[in-house]
Amino acid sequence: MGTEHSIDRGESTAVHRAVRAVRRNRWTGLIVNITPSAFWLIVFFLIPLGVMFYYSFGQRGAFGEVLLGAEHLGLQQYELFFVPPDASVPEAIWWTVAWIIEGLTPVELGLAAGEPTPYVQLTIKSIGYGLLATLVSLAIGYPVAYYIAHVAPARYQNLLLILVILPFWASFLVRVYAIQILLSRNSILTTALGILPFYETGQSLMNTQFAVLLGLTYIWIPFMILPVYASIEQIDFTLQEAAMDLGADRFEAFRRVIFPLSMPGVVAGSILVFIPTAGAFVIPELLGGPRSQMIGNFIANQFGAAGNWPLGAAASFVLMGIMLAAIGIYQRYGESDLA
Amino acid sequence: MSLADDPSLWQRVRRVRSRIFEHGTVVLAFQALLVYLFLYVPIAVVIALSFNDSRYAVVWQGFTTEWYEALLTGETVARVNPAAAFQSLVYSIEIAIVTVLVSTVFGTMLAFALDRYEFPGKGLFIGLVYMPIIIPSIVMGISLLLFFNIIGMSLGIGTAMIAHIAFGISFVAVVVAARLQTFDRTLEEAAKDLGANELETFRYVTFPLIKPGIIAGALLAFAMSFDDFVVTFFVIGRENTLPIFFFAMVRQGISPGVNVIASLIIVATLLLVALAQWIEGPIW
Repeated sequence: MGTEHSIDRGESTAVHRAVRAVRRNRWTGLIVNITPSAFWLIVFFLIPLGVMFYYSFGQRGAFGEVLLGAEHLGLQQYELFFVPPDASVPEAIWWTVAWIIEGLTPVELGLAAGEPTPYVQLTIKSIGYGLLATLVSLAIGYPVAYYIAHVAPARYQNLLLILVILPFWASFLVRVYAIQILLSRNSILTTALGILPFYETGQSLMNTQFAVLLGLTYIWIPFMILPVYASIEQIDFTLQEAAMDLGADRFEAFRRVIFPLSMPGVVAGSILVFIPTAGAFVIPELLGGPRSQMIGNFIANQFGAAGNWPLGAAASFVLMGIMLAAIGIYQRYGESDLA
Repeated sequence: MSLADDPSLWQRVRRVRSRIFEHGTVVLAFQALLVYLFLYVPIAVVIALSFNDSRYAVVWQGFTTEWYEALLTGETVARVNPAAAFQSLVYSIEIAIVTVLVSTVFGTMLAFALDRYEFPGKGLFIGLVYMPIIIPSIVMGISLLLFFNIIGMSLGIGTAMIAHIAFGISFVAVVVAARLQTFDRTLEEAAKDLGANELETFRYVTFPLIKPGIIAGALLAFAMSFDDFVVTFFVIGRENTLPIFFFAMVRQGISPGVNVIASLIIVATLLLVALAQWIEGPIW
C-alpha cells in the first residue's frame, strides 16, 4: 500500500486537489442535490404542461386529428370557450355577468339578450360547486376545530385529531363508493330521510347535485378542520376574557376577537378545499348524473369520447387559471393575516 | 313607543344569545359528534354490507361470510374477479415502491438544496416544486398523456411510475424541507470540528435528526401513489392498478364483491397507518 501510494503520488495529489476544489466550490452541493429533481420536474411535469399549452392553440381537423402547423395556431379554442358564436367580446362578458346574477336571483330578470357558452356555464357551475363545498365544510368544520382546540379535554385532543385525519389515509375511491351506497335506494340514509314530509321513503339520491356536493364535502372536510384547528390552537384565550371584561358578550367576543384571529386557518382551509373540489373529476363522474358534471369531466371527455384535444387543452388552462387566481387571493389575504 | 321597545327587545336577544353561548360546549360537543359520525358511518356501512347475505340490496338481510370465502377461494362474485383484483394490487404495490424509493431520495436532496442554497430564480423554482401538489390531477394526467404520446413512449406501468415520481418528489421535498427548517446546523459544524467528513456528518448527525421528516415524506409518497386514480387513469394504458380496477367495478354499481374488496382495502390501510403510528409516532 505504502509503496503504491508513493508511486502514484504525483497523480493522486492532482486528483485530490481537483476533488477538493470541487468539494470546496459552493455550487457543487447545490448542483448535485438539485439536478435529479429539477430534471424530473422539468421533463415530466413542466414540458408536458408546455406541450398542452401549445395544443390549446391548435385546431381540430375534419377527422378529429390535431392541426398544429403555424397556419392553424391561434386563440380560436379560447374564443370558442368564452365567446358565444354570434356575440362580440363585450357582449360575451355582459352575458356571462348577467347569467351569474340571474342564477343567484330567483326571479327572471331578462338582463341580457343571450347566454354565455355552455363551456362558460359549466366553468361557473364548477366554481359554484367548489365554493359551496368550501362554505359547507367551513360551516360544519369550524365548530369541530374549535371544539378540538379549545373545548375538548386536553388528553383527548390527539385522539380527536387522529380521527379527523384517519379517513384521509383510507382509500379515496372506497370512500366515494361508501357515499354511493349511502345515497342509493333503500339505504340507511335514504330510508331514515323518509321522516321528512316532502321526501318519499327510500328514494335514491344518486346522480343529483346534492350527491356531488355531499361527496365533495365528505372527502375534503378534514382539509378544512386541520388548518382551522391549528389557528385556533394558537389563540390566546385571555383575549376573550379581556373582551368580555370590556363589556362584550360571548357572541361579540367571538365575532370580534376570536374569529378574526382564526382567519389564517380559515383562509388556508378554504383554499385547500376549494382547489380540489372545483377541479374534481372522480366524484361527479361516480356520484353525479348528466346534469351535475363539472369542468374536470368535460376536459376528460374532450380527450376521450368527444375527441377535441385542443378544446380540452384550452379548458385545462382555464381551470389552471382559476386555481392560480385562488392561490393569488390566498397569498394576498392569507399571509398578510399571518404576520 | 318604538324607542322604548327596541332596547328591551335587543337586550332580550342578547340575553338569549348569551345563554346559547354559555351552553355552547354541549352544543359544540354534539355538533362534533355528528361530524365524526358523518366521517365514519359511511365506512362502517361498507364494512357491514360486506357481510350482508344479499346479492343486490343495500338492505340488511342477515350475516354471512359467503362473499369473503368465495373471493378468497378465487371465485368471481358479481363480476369481481379476485385474480384480476390481486394482479392490480401487485401493480399498485410495485409502482408505489419504486415511487417511494426514487422520490424519497430525490425529494430529500431537493429539500437540502432549497434549504441551504440561495440561487437566482429560486422563488420560481419553489413554485415549480409546489405545482404538482396544487394543480388539478386531471390536468397533470392529461398533459403527461399528451407528452408520452408525442415522444412515442408506450403507456404502461413504467409511465405510471414516471408520473407518480413527479408528484412524489414534490410531496417528499415539502415535508422534508419543513423538518429542515427546525434543524440546528451548529450540530453539523460540531461534527466536522470533531473530524467527521461530509458523508460521516450526514450519516451520523444529519440523517438521524431529519429521519422522521424523511419517513413522513416517504409514507405520504406511498399513500399518494397507492391511492392515486386520476393521473394513473390517463397514463397507464391497458394495465390496472387497484384504484383503477376498483373504479371500473364501482361504475357497474353496488355489489357484494365490491363491498368485500372495499372493506379489505379499508382494514389494510388502517392497520398500516396504525402500525406506522405505533413505530414512528404521529405521521403528519
